[in-house]
Amino acid sequence: MGTPGVAVTGLARAAFSAFRVSIRLRVISPWAYLNWLVFPVLFAAVGLYVLSSPGAASSHVVYGVLGGGLIGYWSVAYLEGGNGIQEERWNGTLEQIFATPTPLWVILLGKICGGLLFGLLAFLPTAAFAYVGFHAVLPALDGGRFVISLGVLTLSFFCIALTLTPLFALWRWAFSMLNGFELGVYVLCGFMFPVAVLAPWAQGVAGFLAPTWAVRALYASTLAEGPHNFATWWLATIGLSLAYLAGAYFLYALVERRARMSGQLALA
Amino acid sequence: MKRLALEAGVFGRSTYLQYVALFQWANPQGYVAYKVLLPVTQILFFVELGVYATGRQNALYFALGNALQLTANAGIFGVIATVANERQYGTLPILLASPANRLITFLSRAVVNVIDGIATVVIGLAIVVVIYGLNLQHANLLLLALCVVVISLTTAGLGLMFGSIGLVMRDAIIIANIVYYVLLIICGINFPVSRLPGAVQVLAYALPLTRGVQAARDAAAGASLGQVGGLLAGELLVGLMWALGGYLLFRLLENWARRGGLQEAF
Repeated sequence: MGTPGVAVTGLARAAFSAFRVSIRLRVISPWAYLNWLVFPVLFAAVGLYVLSSPGAASSHVVYGVLGGGLIGYWSVAYLEGGNGIQEERWNGTLEQIFATPTPLWVILLGKICGGLLFGLLAFLPTAAFAYVGFHAVLPALDGGRFVISLGVLTLSFFCIALTLTPLFALWRWAFSMLNGFELGVYVLCGFMFPVAVLAPWAQGVAGFLAPTWAVRALYASTLAEGPHNFATWWLATIGLSLAYLAGAYFLYALVERRARMSGQLALA
Repeated sequence: MKRLALEAGVFGRSTYLQYVALFQWANPQGYVAYKVLLPVTQILFFVELGVYATGRQNALYFALGNALQLTANAGIFGVIATVANERQYGTLPILLASPANRLITFLSRAVVNVIDGIATVVIGLAIVVVIYGLNLQHANLLLLALCVVVISLTTAGLGLMFGSIGLVMRDAIIIANIVYYVLLIICGINFPVSRLPGAVQVLAYALPLTRGVQAARDAAAGASLGQVGGLLAGELLVGLMWALGGYLLFRLLENWARRGGLQEAF
């Protein structure tokens, strides 16, 4: 019987292996490049052109600088992170994953971290495009708060990806729905314009989404004007993210039951 | 005469099979996701973005542009996916081995998607009328309808061009994603083409949608056929050129795919 330390080291090693494989698969996947490189730049281009329209406030441009990156980061998180189990099903490796002694969540942890790392890359081409094409920069960047807000946003994306993974595997229509609603997420999370411009009922719905608060903090860390309630926004993000994780716990139990007891999960 | 009837039969069967293939996702969830949620959210996103940047008075400019651009959902994604799906489902070698007339096979790829594109724009325009109160009282509705048909045809022409690449490329649907969003940027959907750099403006006018969307905006404002006839003729010419280029590329790549056995690579 191993000690807890050895067990943790073993799990960490398994998670790192999943992370490494996930990164290697993404390096050779054209879809990954579409999501972190092409899509963000295309959205940044539209955003920057519209937000720099004649008569628009100069502070709006910050939404174009970061908006494309946020869209790319989200796309990678929900598409590649959320399809963690689906990918195994498509590749015919689902049974092997379930037959290994390593818990499923440890493997998914590594895979999702790999996806998030790729997603973070989306900020590089969009920031470069904004700077070169529009001479746009972040006007009043508060480095410390920006980094913390990005970290909190990453936590929320991680929790959402971890929650979506069993959801997409159990109910395949859920992916179609979220895929069709993708631009709705951009609206409700305020990726390219503040949620405050939406109708009050839409702002109410947006309040239940963890990234909304982290994105608000992220933009506030780049602007001098407006409210700066960082602690409240970070706590709201963390609280909602943990609530999603609690829901994910039950979904994973259902996935395990489907996969091991009924054998239905591998059915494509 | 008999030959013509035979070819018409091939065209009809091929079009019907395209209809069946197109609706592979035909279940209520798939329909709601891609035919209702996607148009609604695309329009909402760009209208709210535009309103935030330029004010509520410009909401209809963004709403109308994006409603019309939705035709590319069928014309680009749908048409490119027809070839990509033949490869994915392993039927591309059978198609290429068949003695069917290539031009008829090629054009039948687009017909159902053109109809689907028109339906998508109608859904988009209905959304704009309901949510943003688009007032069509003074619009030239017949001309607007003609514009919708024309841009659905021309975007399918562009789709045929890039669909041909699916003969030799495994992930042709990636091309569809890029083309769809490039059209959104450079065709005057969310901001005037005149704001783009000179070289990109040339590209914009070499693509479908640019003239068609302008004509549709004018028709919605009450313009007559005489006023937008030039734009529509240009739009049709551009779509025809892309479709012709697509056919030539299809023939070229068909031979290339055969020689390299690429039609079976997945």
